[in-house]
Amino acid sequence: MDQETHNGAEFDLDLGWMEKQGEWGTHAEPSKNGLTLADIQVGSYAEAPEESRNLSGRPRGAVPRPGSMPIGNYTVRTKSEIWLENASFLYEEALQRQWSSATDIPWDTIEPLPDDVEQAQCQMATFLTEVEFVAGDVPSRWVSKTSPDFYEARNVLMAQVMDESRHMDVFRKRALANGGGLMRATGATAGFVGGIDLARDFTEMSSRLHLSGEGAVLTIFRMGELMAYNDAEKAIYRLCAQDEARHVAFGVMHMRYMAANAPERREEIESYLDEAEAGMLTDAANPAGQLNQTSESLSIMLGGGRKYFDEGFRKLVSIRKRQLQEYQKRVTSAGFGDRFKNGRSRLGQMMANVAN
Amino acid sequence: MNRFLAKFPSVAWFDAVRDVYNKDDAMHGAGSGTCNCVVGVQVGRELFQLTFEGFECSRAEKITKSKLDDCDFYLHMTAKDWRSMLQNIQEHGHATDNFTLNTLDLGRVEGLSASTHNDQYREDLFFRYNQTLQFFFDGSARIKTTF
Repeated sequence: MDQETHNGAEFDLDLGWMEKQGEWGTHAEPSKNGLTLADIQVGSYAEAPEESRNLSGRPRGAVPRPGSMPIGNYTVRTKSEIWLENASFLYEEALQRQWSSATDIPWDTIEPLPDDVEQAQCQMATFLTEVEFVAGDVPSRWVSKTSPDFYEARNVLMAQVMDESRHMDVFRKRALANGGGLMRATGATAGFVGGIDLARDFTEMSSRLHLSGEGAVLTIFRMGELMAYNDAEKAIYRLCAQDEARHVAFGVMHMRYMAANAPERREEIESYLDEAEAGMLTDAANPAGQLNQTSESLSIMLGGGRKYFDEGFRKLVSIRKRQLQEYQKRVTSAGFGDRFKNGRSRLGQMMANVAN
Repeated sequence: MNRFLAKFPSVAWFDAVRDVYNKDDAMHGAGSGTCNCVVGVQVGRELFQLTFEGFECSRAEKITKSKLDDCDFYLHMTAKDWRSMLQNIQEHGHATDNFTLNTLDLGRVEGLSASTHNDQYREDLFFRYNQTLQFFFDGSARIKTTF
C-alpha cells in the first residue's frame, strides 16, 4: 500500500451530513431564570407530535436517519397518553430545588428520644423507605417506554426518580441516626401501593401514583413536620413534602390535559379513581388510616408517646379528614369533580366515617 | 450590626425582609430555589401580597380583600399569632417547634394557608415552595421588628 492510498487522499471528502439539518437559524434566548426548557420551545422544535413514530431514539427536531433500526420499546407514542402543559416548568423547578440528604439536614440537632417515640419514628421511616422504593421504580419503567418525542414529560419523571431515591436514603438515614434502626417491613409494596406497578397504561399509573398515592403521602410528609421532635426531622419532612407536591402537580396537570383532550377515555379514568378511592384512601392501605402499624406509629408521634396514644389518634383523624378533602379538591382541579356531585365517588361517605 | 427597623405588618417590613431574602444566596439552595407564586398575607384585617418570581421576591404590596382572588394561597393568622411566630424566629434565628409554617398550618384548627378560589393545584404551591417561604420569613430574624 503506497502512502497516498493509506491517507485516503484518492477519495472526496463526503460532508453530506452538513446538509441534513433540522430547522436552522434558531436563537433561543435565556429568560430571567437562565436558558430553560421553556425558552428552547422555539419553531418546529416546540412541536410535540400527536402520534410519535420515533422508534430510534432520534431527538425531537433532528432529521431522521433512513434505515435506522428501532432501539426503544416505546409503547407510549400518543401525546395525550403522557402530556401535560407545564412539564418544562416542572422539570426546571425539580432541578433547581434539589437538596442533599447529607448536608441540607441539620443531623446534629437529633437527640435521644424516649424508646416508644424512637420506635414509632423508625417504623415510619421503614414504611416510607418501602413506599419510596415503589415511587422510584414505577416512573423509571415508564421513562423507557415513552417516545423521545415527549422528552419534557420523560425528564420530569427522571427528576422524580432522583427525588424518590433521595427520599429512600433520607428515611433510611433517619432510622439509623438515633439509636434505633429499621423496623418490620409493613408490606406496603403489596396491595394498592404495589398495584401501581401493575398499571398497563401510563394514565392508569399516573392516576394511582401521582394523584392518589403521592397525594396521600404528601399529607403524611406534612404531618411529619408537625410531629417532628427536632429541626432535622422537620427539615426532612418539609423538603420531602415539597418534592412530593411537585409529583402531585404532574398528576393533576396530566389528568387535566386528558380531561380536555381525550374525552373518550374519561370513563376509564373515572374507574381508576374508583379503584384509588377504594384502595389507597381506605383504611387498610392508607398510612393515615386506622389500626395499622403506620397509623399507630403516627398516633404515638403526634401524641407525644404511647401514653398519649388517644390524643395522637384524634389529631391523626383530623389530619386524615384534611387528606381526603385535599384529594377531592385535586381531582376537581384535574377536571373530574363531577364524580363528587353525581354520587359516583364514595369519598363523602369515607369522610363521614373518618369523622366517626 | 445595624439592623433595619420596621413595624409589622407594613409594606416597609415586607420590603426589608425581601431585601434579606433576595440578597442571600443561601436562601436559594438547600431545597429552595426558583419559586413562582403569588402569596397573600392576612394579619388580622390587614392584607398584603407577595410576588415570588424565579429567585426573587419581586414585590410586596398592601391589597384589598378582592385582590385575594389573585393569590395562589394566603396565610392568615391573628396579629397576636403572627407576633408569636416572628418572636420565635427572632429568638432562634429561624422558626422552631410549633412555629414553622407547615406546623402552624396543620396544628391550628383553622389552618394557616387558605384560598378564595378553592383550586387545590394552586393551593398546593404552599407545599411545593414551603422551604422558600420558610426561608423568607426566617429572614425576618435579620431585621428589627416592632409591633
